[in-house]
Amino acid sequence: MIAFQDVHKYYGDYHALRGITATIRAGEFFSLLGPSGCGKTTLLRTIAGFEGISSGAVMIDGKNMAGVPANKRPTNMVFQSYAIFPHLTVAENVGFGLRRAGLSKDEMAKRVGDALEMVGLAGYGARAAHALSGGQRQRVALARALILKPKVLLLDEPLSALDKKMREQMQVELIRLQRQVGITFILVTHDQEEALVMSDRIAVMFEGEIAQLADPETLYRRPSSRRVADFIGTMNFLPAKILSEAGGKIEVEAEGFGRATVEADQAPGAASGDGAAVGFRPETLTILFEGQQATDREATAVIEEVVYFGDMTYYDVRLDGAKTSTRISMRNVFGRPVLEIGAKTRISWSPGALVLFR
Amino acid sequence: MKGGWFKVYALAYLLFLYAPIIILPMFAFNDATVIAFPLSGFSTRWFDEMMQAPALRIALKNSLIIAVSAAVISTTLGIFAARATTRYRFPAKAGIMGLIMLPLVLPEIIVAVSLLVVLLGLGVNLSIFTVILGHVLICTPFTIAILSSAFQSLDQSLEEAAYDLGESGPSTFRLIILPLVMPGIISSLLISFTISLDEFIIAFFLAGTEPTLPVYIFSQFRFPSSVPVIMALGTVLVCLSILLLTIAEYFRRRGIAKSGGKDTGGFL
Ligand SMILES: Nc1ncnc2c1ncn2[C@@H]1O[C@H](COP(=O)(O)OP(=O)(O)O)[C@@H](O)[C@H]1O
Ligand SMILES: [Mg+2]
Repeated sequence: MIAFQDVHKYYGDYHALRGITATIRAGEFFSLLGPSGCGKTTLLRTIAGFEGISSGAVMIDGKNMAGVPANKRPTNMVFQSYAIFPHLTVAENVGFGLRRAGLSKDEMAKRVGDALEMVGLAGYGARAAHALSGGQRQRVALARALILKPKVLLLDEPLSALDKKMREQMQVELIRLQRQVGITFILVTHDQEEALVMSDRIAVMFEGEIAQLADPETLYRRPSSRRVADFIGTMNFLPAKILSEAGGKIEVEAEGFGRATVEADQAPGAASGDGAAVGFRPETLTILFEGQQATDREATAVIEEVVYFGDMTYYDVRLDGAKTSTRISMRNVFGRPVLEIGAKTRISWSPGALVLFR
Repeated sequence: MKGGWFKVYALAYLLFLYAPIIILPMFAFNDATVIAFPLSGFSTRWFDEMMQAPALRIALKNSLIIAVSAAVISTTLGIFAARATTRYRFPAKAGIMGLIMLPLVLPEIIVAVSLLVVLLGLGVNLSIFTVILGHVLICTPFTIAILSSAFQSLDQSLEEAAYDLGESGPSTFRLIILPLVMPGIISSLLISFTISLDEFIIAFFLAGTEPTLPVYIFSQFRFPSSVPVIMALGTVLVCLSILLLTIAEYFRRRGIAKSGGKDTGGFL
């Protein structure tokens, strides 16, 4: 559907996109995720046609977009600032792209009305655009872009200007809208949670390169590098040594865990300078309470910090033999006490919890 | 008494600035040829006389032609320059803009004399057109200043959005940019019109045998009998100037409010 083939982009001497190769499928909700300045917006703008590329190719539906100007591409964009035309009414904004379609007045009013209803702004058509709230502007921008039924809708940090509650509400609405219209959505965001919640697939970008492209679950459970793991959620790392590797199982000696087995497909990472390490998410470790059955995956630890969150408690624990502490998140179960700092405890980890980075 | 002396100072300052202007309508409506106190009675005959002087009418016509042309030309140039400085990066931008803005600080007499030398050197006959040329030169920095403020407060993604929605470059300019900077354009037209209408030195040097209104006024001061008429004319001009500047500032502010920007400049 959309294909990047070894796309490079230079701003003068600055190498902003460094060999992007990726395919975005038709009808999927795709996110470009990465820290500020990594080139997400630049990449999005190469699809829209606002930004030329230095080498490589951007294809939409098998057609090379080189030389196709932005106003002739089958894409529409929701801008970070929403870019609502302040001198027009809401209806004039939404109908702007249909001006040249030569519709009758009634047809136009109907299409605009439908689009406004789709984004929950039915009846707002006559309002002056500059008098809208942030969330309403966002909806107008969506309606204005979707009314043209583009093949691809491009969204550049559309939720970053909204407050937390509004943002969460719009996340849900965007997902609903995308399913309803079936158009490919490409979302730029620096918020990993937002990307995980909304996307079918995510490309994680660092410094102009895609570090990993996968569905949210794979990204979360099998990050391809420590950097991706660090960027998505929380991951603990402890140094490890590889002992043996055979039959799809890797035997490791990890700080705090002792000997442990890692499935070969849980060891996606490429070699890094830091030496091998095992990584694990806070919720994959469990504190064993008095009388709980021990397993063969067990270690001992001391509690160093307790952060109570109501439904959850975060414990920073020091596994015996480890030099750094490790974060564990535990769902609070009624009747079970919250442990105190300094308490000694046994912990256990679920199978497949450990990811090996080498 | 905190602020007391400040009030006195402010009052004295305003008096110093505006008292001479108050003199204008006083003597314009005074029923005497001599400009002296005490006033001798109310009369509108100077205004009637003003309406009948043929030389004055020609000078007024010249001034209007020059002011309208200078306003239109310098505003058009200002639109291009403001657009270029706010949207594009080009080599030696600061230097080029500095040169364009230079007439703002150059003594007008220098501009006038050098223009005269150049025009005579080129063998150009002095006329209304040479005055227009000079006025465009001194008005353009003002139009650029006003229009830059208008273009600057324009979010670039508005243009991109229009383009994204299928409009071409020219239609984006017409549908989005022009309406949003229109208040700035109107304000620029009015201010350059006013500057040109008032301007004396350049007009005096470059007008040849086609005097503008200020040049005509200056020449009439040699004849004591026509001084009250000049007072009447001055009264009309002052009222007109104040009106135009007020309209210009109104449009400039409305433009900024409309595109949601912050007020970063202006002359009033
Ligand atoms: N027009 C430009 N000229 C020069 N450098 C730019 C331009 N646009 C973006 N950059 C640079 O390219 C890098 C990537 O920018 P951008 O794509 O906006 O990042 P992101 O959206 O991921 O925060 C940044 O370092 C930025 O400074
Ligand atoms: Mg960005």
